[in-house]
Amino acid sequence: MQNFHPRLLKETPFLFFTGKGGVGKTSAACATAVNLTDQGKKVLLVSTDPASNLQDVFGMEFSNQPTKVDNVDGLFACNLDPEEAAKSYRDKVVDPFRGKLPDAVVDQMEEQLSGACTVEIAAFDEFTNLLTNSELISGFDHVIFDTAPTGHTLRLLQLPNAWNGFLEDSTHGASCLGPLSGLSAKKELYANTVKVLSDSSQTKLVLVTRPDSSTFFEAQRASTELKEIGIKNQLLIINGLLKKPIDNDEISSAFYNRQQKALKELPESLKQLETYSLPFVSYSLIGSESLRHLFKSYLLSSSSQESVELKSDNLLTLNQTIDDLYVKNTRVILTMGKGGVGKTTIASLLAVGLAKKGKKVHLTTTDPAAHLEFVFKDELVMDNLTISKIDPSAEVEKYKAEVLLTAGAGLEEDALRYLEEDLNSPCTEEIAVFRAFADVVEKSNEEIVVIDTAPTGHTLLLLDAAKSYEKELSRSTGEIPDAVKNLLPRLRNPEETSVLIVTLPEATPVFEAMRLQQDLKRAGIQPKSWVINQSLYGTETIDPILSAKATSEKVWIKKVSEELTKQTTIVKWQPEDKLGNIEVEELIN
Amino acid sequence: MTKVEIFDPALCCPTGVCGPSVDPELTRVAAAVFTLEKQGFDIKRYNLGNEPGMFVENLIINQVLHEKGPDALPAVVVNGEMLKVGEYPSNEELAIWFGIQESDLKMKKPTNLLDIKFK
Repeated sequence: MQNFHPRLLKETPFLFFTGKGGVGKTSAACATAVNLTDQGKKVLLVSTDPASNLQDVFGMEFSNQPTKVDNVDGLFACNLDPEEAAKSYRDKVVDPFRGKLPDAVVDQMEEQLSGACTVEIAAFDEFTNLLTNSELISGFDHVIFDTAPTGHTLRLLQLPNAWNGFLEDSTHGASCLGPLSGLSAKKELYANTVKVLSDSSQTKLVLVTRPDSSTFFEAQRASTELKEIGIKNQLLIINGLLKKPIDNDEISSAFYNRQQKALKELPESLKQLETYSLPFVSYSLIGSESLRHLFKSYLLSSSSQESVELKSDNLLTLNQTIDDLYVKNTRVILTMGKGGVGKTTIASLLAVGLAKKGKKVHLTTTDPAAHLEFVFKDELVMDNLTISKIDPSAEVEKYKAEVLLTAGAGLEEDALRYLEEDLNSPCTEEIAVFRAFADVVEKSNEEIVVIDTAPTGHTLLLLDAAKSYEKELSRSTGEIPDAVKNLLPRLRNPEETSVLIVTLPEATPVFEAMRLQQDLKRAGIQPKSWVINQSLYGTETIDPILSAKATSEKVWIKKVSEELTKQTTIVKWQPEDKLGNIEVEELIN
Repeated sequence: MTKVEIFDPALCCPTGVCGPSVDPELTRVAAAVFTLEKQGFDIKRYNLGNEPGMFVENLIINQVLHEKGPDALPAVVVNGEMLKVGEYPSNEELAIWFGIQESDLKMKKPTNLLDIKFK
């Protein structure tokens, strides 16, 4: 596979680097920006990643205004933090009412404006402002965006009724457009932005993934979503490819084989894209010099990380964690975290571990890419361990049908369509999955329930919008199943529930997990511990690249175990195909 | 002509389908308001999350919020008079206020009034 090089991007002015957290899109975007400026181009680099580490990469602070990057002629950068944007949007909406409305009422407004939709729309608003500022844009040969808008945001903006109905007459329209109502004056700007994005002579979308199947799945989803709304000019970068393994190093060859195996299973729709790779590098892509090395594939050593001192005595093994859960007789165990951090694997290991100790365990997942079947080869599943899967799209269909049948009963056609439009909103999926989730948790009366993926902080906040769950429920005339009624109190009770946040020992996954933890705390749920998964630190690898990576992990392990949580479990990197049932035993013993 | 104003709590969506459970009450109100509007009646619905301004400008609603806090919502103001606090109007009440039959709230209407395009 050919190495990626920025010259492949030709003259396209707008470049979007997208991909899920931790795949290295910031590094790829920054390295591309530096390379293009080295070719004499004038480049603006824009990050819309809330966990942006542009400041770490270039060693300087950025704001939402383009700032010249030190030591790189022709490069300017800015940070459009969507959460910051959402916060300022929220403040703009809420502040004028402080003092005029009672505090409790203002609090309710604020909670409503804390949802994922507000963040997404606010972020889109920020970059629209930038993209449509022709005076600013005309000064650059390329504008590189780190993190593109999701198909969901763009689709929202394309909803005809959103504009023609809701924004002009706020009593109607698709749901979740609340945050848009304050932005109606910008209708034309948004329309232009969507047009620029779907013009293939102006915009190129660079999908960044890791060579593993779960990130491929995610990239495939993004690719399809964005194609559907007209962004067809796409290119794929497979980042972090180990070019060749070291002989006689088990970790190195397993690492290599795992990547090669994933590559063979590259989804069909991604195969149709121009595809390039970038090498797995041990060094942190920090500073313009190391960024320049990326396209030269030079190996650099990372000596600056050596000095990090880790207190390893407060790190638990997975076995100790299972013992702890066993002794405390925890009824509900949730593994939470971003996709690709190995939640499913950790949840499976915990479930097997507890089942082996004689507990009755039910394991379930909502991960659409779940490979539980793969982790557990059927014939090896134990008697006291049951497995199920919550399929989001099936749940949504079930939920929609139920609503149309009950709430929609007797409605005339117009009103029914109106209801249907609300049902097509992104909130519906969240709620539908949430309902199924509540049903599974209800089983914890009889057995230990281990759940891979949990409701987001957003859903929980929604549940708890009035900050008085019980009261809200008693007031609602909607029929609330017992499972839903019991859910939040149960999740908040540390005697019953343990939330484990799973992360990788890398910058972005740690930052994302931090935000998740904050969300949960707002909903009154205190995560019990963090699990650092796939850590090369502590493995015996002698592969120069992998062992240098192991060293660079120390700074993140330290941050997690000493700043972010009281209990940290560390799980060493394992070849994925060793995770069959028998090997699970090996791993946890 | 009768003027009805419904002041909602901060809602994600007016039909309530995006709440923890579908509240048929919200769906009923959304459908009734929708139908009445399309028939040209003067009925408005304000969501605290989107249009807090209305909750300040309207002195009656402002007063009840200061007295009872967010629990006062939903509240209903008919011709400038607060008729309901903490609950939505029934279809029967809406029909009485507007001087129509309750069954008119479910009347079949031409479908071309709303410009919805489905992909």
